[in-house]
Amino acid sequence: MAALVTFQDVCKYYHMGDSTVVAADHISFEIERGEFTAIVGSSGSGKSTCMNIIGCLDVPSEGTYFLSGQDVGQMNKNQLAEVRNEMLGFIFQQYNLLPKLNLLENVEIPLMYAGVPRGERRERALAALEQVGLGDKLRHKPMELSGGQQQRVSIARALVGKPAVILADEPTGALDSRTGREVLSMLQDLHSSGHTVVLITHDNSIAVQAQRIIRLEDGHVVYDGPADAPEAVVTPRAADMRGREHT
Amino acid sequence: MRITESFSLALKNIASSKVRTLLTMLGIIIGVAAVIVIVGLGNGLENYIADSFSSMGTNTLTVTVQSRGATRTMEVEDMYEIVEAHPQELELCSPTVSMMGGVKIGSETASASVSGVSEDYNDIYGYAIAQGRGLQYSDVASRAKVCVIGAYVNQAYFGGKAVGQTLRVGGQALSIVGVLEQREDSMNEGGSDDCLYLPYSTAARLGGSRVSSYVVTMVDEERIEQSQAVLEQALTDFFGSDDYYTIITMSELLDTMTGMINILVGVLAGIAAISLVVGGIGIMNIMLVSVTERTREIGVRKSLGAKERTIMEQFVIEAAVTSALGGLIGIALGYLLSAAATAVVARLMGEALAVAPTLFAVVMAFGISAGIGVLFGYLPAKKAARLNPIDALHYD
Ligand SMILES: Nc1ncnc2c1ncn2[C@@H]1O[C@H](COP(=O)(O)OP(=O)(O)OP(=O)(O)O)[C@@H](O)[C@H]1O
Ligand SMILES: [Mg+2]
Repeated sequence: MAALVTFQDVCKYYHMGDSTVVAADHISFEIERGEFTAIVGSSGSGKSTCMNIIGCLDVPSEGTYFLSGQDVGQMNKNQLAEVRNEMLGFIFQQYNLLPKLNLLENVEIPLMYAGVPRGERRERALAALEQVGLGDKLRHKPMELSGGQQQRVSIARALVGKPAVILADEPTGALDSRTGREVLSMLQDLHSSGHTVVLITHDNSIAVQAQRIIRLEDGHVVYDGPADAPEAVVTPRAADMRGREHT
Repeated sequence: MRITESFSLALKNIASSKVRTLLTMLGIIIGVAAVIVIVGLGNGLENYIADSFSSMGTNTLTVTVQSRGATRTMEVEDMYEIVEAHPQELELCSPTVSMMGGVKIGSETASASVSGVSEDYNDIYGYAIAQGRGLQYSDVASRAKVCVIGAYVNQAYFGGKAVGQTLRVGGQALSIVGVLEQREDSMNEGGSDDCLYLPYSTAARLGGSRVSSYVVTMVDEERIEQSQAVLEQALTDFFGSDDYYTIITMSELLDTMTGMINILVGVLAGIAAISLVVGGIGIMNIMLVSVTERTREIGVRKSLGAKERTIMEQFVIEAAVTSALGGLIGIALGYLLSAAATAVVARLMGEALAVAPTLFAVVMAFGISAGIGVLFGYLPAKKAARLNPIDALHYD
């Protein structure tokens, strides 16, 4: 059986007037079902580009991306929307909950687009919110919650459709370190209960919480291996230099 | 996602910003209310005119002869002969001589309308006598100096005891032989109860003119065209040409009046409908703002699996519901204003003119306002549906 996520020489170009930015340059990797992978790299290295492609929000300029054996590059907008709905769960840095809806309604959205009947939708949303420990705040609006709680709601929303891949883009970026750790341990729990989790971060200390690290630099994969190997967290020279220039 | 969900979503969004929604709907509310009131007013006017016409008798033909230049002049007897010659079509006939003003009661000048008529006039219009007697053939034949007055004249000038008294018309003293029964609910100066009838022969002598106008009744109201044709033929035969007379039927007159009212109402309603279009543009404007404000929401929804069609549906339905809701409020307001207008007309003019909105106008107003929502919501919805999810997610 093919891997869940397969990148084959994926390239992404952005045309800015006359110049072309190469955001992803022949990236290839595979992610198996049940893996907990961190895609890590410094700013501008191409993490968001990869995440957009994995999340079917964007398609490669060149190369192919197979999600569960299907070639995403060949899909039309409707098919992409269906795949996002059925196969993917997003967790964003800014939570992106809809402020006018209560927690239950927020979590129900993916099910609504999937055409799940009202009663079942309620039940599943309720179960997902209970799973993240917010079963007592169903009727609250997102603004009445702390950042960490809001991020837990967005985890519930990502979970509720039983997606094949959970994509988390800097999920701890807006949180203090303690709530950040809580959210991370929640992702680890998801992983241990069998979910496939892809974590995008610029922070090595967060990336090492994953099972596997894919390190990007200038649109290239510079490391792909276990998170606990010493090479995984070695800060590449170039990034080091750049960091020093700024200080 | 089902369409009912889109509706409840739209309602939720509308409910969450009530003031803005109300302001957005204002154009539609005003437009719909205006259309309903104007159409209701026209409808009321039409009913009012139809009522007053039917009280004037729709089985009558009014004949006017212009003998000038004709080889024969028509005497009253000639007209009676024509009517009597066609008993299957024509029944009663009365000359009518209108006199302008000149009624003096004691030292007062009265405004009563003065008509010279025959003894059949009351039967033609179904007027009943309340006191005394009506005009008789002998009055006409002898050019008697008598008259019958309307209930208003009796009440206003004689304290209800006019029979036996005298008044003057054009300087001639006439004795009052009868009073007609009250015809209108409330009597007014210049109303139909402010009238005076004298024998046409007397009137013709006073005015020094030949009788030139007649009212003729038909045997059967349903056979207007045949009756009119028979009369036309007889008059053409008499004059040897159809240039010297005109026949007007009440129903023709009613049709003409109704036609004019309809044109007027159409033009006014058209002007009011412009405000519906302006309202539609208002909706489009707010929806465009709303799409921009909700760019991030649209991005989130797309990332969670909303298709372009779904987003499109959401915004179009929201616009349509806003507009249709405005339409409903406009209908309610229209009814309220119609009731108010009816009350005001009743007070100012003492007339029972009911501003009656038609069901058709109400259904149309609702349909059009919902349609405007769809029409003007389409462009903003298209814009929302086309947003690129990545850009939308990072919009702030
Ligand atoms: N829409 C775009 N138009 C033009 N250039 C873009 C666009 N999106 C990304 N890029 C460029 O592509 C490169 C990779 O961007 P990407 O957003 O993937 O980086 P990143 O690793 O997510 O960075 P960060 O940690 O700052 O989010 C960058 O040089 C960026 O300027
Ligand atoms: Mg990024």
